[in-house]
Amino acid sequence: MAIAEEAAAEGAAAGGDVAWQATVGKALAAGLAMGLSAIGAGYAQAKIGSAGAGTLAERPEVSIWIITLQALPEVIVLLGFVSAIMISG
Amino acid sequence: MTPVSTAESRRPAGKDYGYCNARVRGMKSRLFDAAYLERLMGAADLSGVIHELVQTEYNPDLEQTLIHGRTAAQVDEALKLNLVRTYRKVLRLLNEDAFFLVTTLLGRWDLFNLKSIVRGKHVHLTVGEIHDGLLPVGALNAVELDALAAVEDIRAVADTAATWGLEYAPALRAGYIAFARSGDLPELELELDGHYARWASERLRKRGENAALARRILGMQVDTVNLITVLRLVKADLEGVDPMTFFLEGGWSIHRDLFEQLAKTSDVDELLDRVKGTPYGKTLEDSAIAYLEENSLAVFERSLETLLTRRAVASGIGDPLGVGVVVSYLWAKLNEVTNLRIVVKGKAIGMPESRMRKELILV
Repeated sequence: MAIAEEAAAEGAAAGGDVAWQATVGKALAAGLAMGLSAIGAGYAQAKIGSAGAGTLAERPEVSIWIITLQALPEVIVLLGFVSAIMISG
Repeated sequence: MTPVSTAESRRPAGKDYGYCNARVRGMKSRLFDAAYLERLMGAADLSGVIHELVQTEYNPDLEQTLIHGRTAAQVDEALKLNLVRTYRKVLRLLNEDAFFLVTTLLGRWDLFNLKSIVRGKHVHLTVGEIHDGLLPVGALNAVELDALAAVEDIRAVADTAATWGLEYAPALRAGYIAFARSGDLPELELELDGHYARWASERLRKRGENAALARRILGMQVDTVNLITVLRLVKADLEGVDPMTFFLEGGWSIHRDLFEQLAKTSDVDELLDRVKGTPYGKTLEDSAIAYLEENSLAVFERSLETLLTRRAVASGIGDPLGVGVVVSYLWAKLNEVTNLRIVVKGKAIGMPESRMRKELILV
């Protein structure tokens, strides 16, 4: 009887450890999903921004296109955000 | 001292081609198309051409020169000003990598200008006459070139270049010594040509796609000079002259052995036969009939220059974030200005449209 109680207590302790590790893992994964997608979008926007500035200097009439292109990488961040929510939820 | 060094201090750092290539592509989109050139050729007279051009980006340059009279010479000067202004603007936009490669290729214009000054001094042209033939788009600006053109004689040109510490000073000095000994100006010009080919080849010995592209363009320039030289040698059929003294190193496909073989051919026909396997074979073959009609090597010279322009303009098709975009624009702009000069001069002397169309370089 005493042996069974001891085993159950050990099991409960191990289950607690697993739950704690899962929470930390999820948080890390969500952070990575959000952070890396934000870095990727930032890099893309930097490149588009520099080329866009060059284009606007010579052809201001295409400004709408440049603003649209500049905003496109934001989708990457949104996808990262959704992924992060799904991971942590 | 030179505007290039001024531009160097302002240019964007690194290898980011995004900004400069986007600007250059924007500028390229404003180049005239074939339809516009047709419209210019269809204008009633020179005034009609001027009326069309003042509505374009040539306007500021035309305003500057037309106050001296609405003549073809003033329009020509405006076109030249625009070309120089545009080249300087592009140089200011370039990053370090592109600036290094492009200024090396544009060194051909320093060579051209120095040769023009030396030739002008040799036949005692006035400073104004020499100035008209210059195109200050290389490292030497208009003020420096005018100062060189204003000195007394060829020796003074070499001395001034040495005082200023110009890249070409040693070649000018060595060339002047050879010229003073023989009285042959081509000896001086050959020295300058050789110096540019060596200097540029050395600078372009870098790794990477962009340097390879610049090397190819430089190689074609050197090949063009070598082919014209060997055509002249074969046509002149000179006795007791070592053709290899005229050979320039750094070519793309006309190497030393081939040059030697070409120089040994008995006539132009045989030479054209020998170059069939090279990238220039078809171009030269296509010009053979025109050469027979006109009996002038200028036909070949022109077709080779057109081929070089075509290849340089096509270099912008590849990497959108490479130096090819800039090289392509610079050659396309030069081609546009050359075509406009043909139209303006044609209109001024009443040349028929069909003849003008034939004279245009690359449309």
